Amino acid sequence: MTLPQCDFPADRSIVFQMPSRLELLVVVDQLVQAICHDMDFDRDDTDAIANSVIEAATNAVQHAHGHDVMRPVVFRFLLGDDELQIEVTDTGPGFDLEEVSALDPTGPEGILKSRGRGIFIMKAMMDRVDFDIQMGTGTRVCMAKSRRPAEGGDGA
Amino acid sequence: MKIKQEAIGDVYVVRLSGQLMGGPDADSVRETILSILNQGYKKIVIDLKDVSWVNSTGLGILMSAHITATQNGGIVKLMRISRRIDSIFMVTRLNTVFQVFDKEEDAIASFEGDVTGQKN
Repeated sequence: MTLPQCDFPADRSIVFQMPSRLELLVVVDQLVQAICHDMDFDRDDTDAIANSVIEAATNAVQHAHGHDVMRPVVFRFLLGDDELQIEVTDTGPGFDLEEVSALDPTGPEGILKSRGRGIFIMKAMMDRVDFDIQMGTGTRVCMAKSRRPAEGGDGA
Repeated sequence: MKIKQEAIGDVYVVRLSGQLMGGPDADSVRETILSILNQGYKKIVIDLKDVSWVNSTGLGILMSAHITATQNGGIVKLMRISRRIDSIFMVTRLNTVFQVFDKEEDAIASFEGDVTGQKN
């Protein structure tokens, strides 16, 4: 059983699948950089998007799939006019989002922990982050970021 | 990820390159820091000039290095982090945990008079 896919139009979608190998995050990073360049995201937003996709992928590889290379992580990118939507889907057991998000990783207790920053980074760096968690089936992370108007452009 | 080490006076510089993202990297960095501490060096600078990005697991590796050094009477500082890594440090507030320097000479000079970082 797999999670249902969102209805991304084929002419504006990029779909990518990789085995659960951390070293392949370099490929994911390159793909995100290329998509953001194509959409004219600025340097800071490109970094934010790339960091967030890598966090979602890291969670999928490490926590959902336990580095099992036979379990693929699927990435879907929807290139909108002014917004990039991204889905990262795994087939892991799922997790308790409330529990994972309970400890503030920037607080006095959380900041010294070696884990627990991934979801926090995604939420801080993207405009929207939603989790579709189906326990025992898989998790789909849906993220979006809008392109900021260029400084001195029409809106200035 | 690759690791190079260099003693400059009583300061040990650990130069990382590639991506800091977990897996075997975690053990490699921790073992390197422990080895340096066991040699009696307490002042450690991690050079991130050639690290293109860090994920949350990589941040955990740096935090473990910080804790390992602190527990053994040492101190870990960072230098030459990219704008991209700096943005993650700002968001996660790790910039309040680590001292970060743009230049190697400033990082090394910062240990002068630092009792915590005395070798032996």
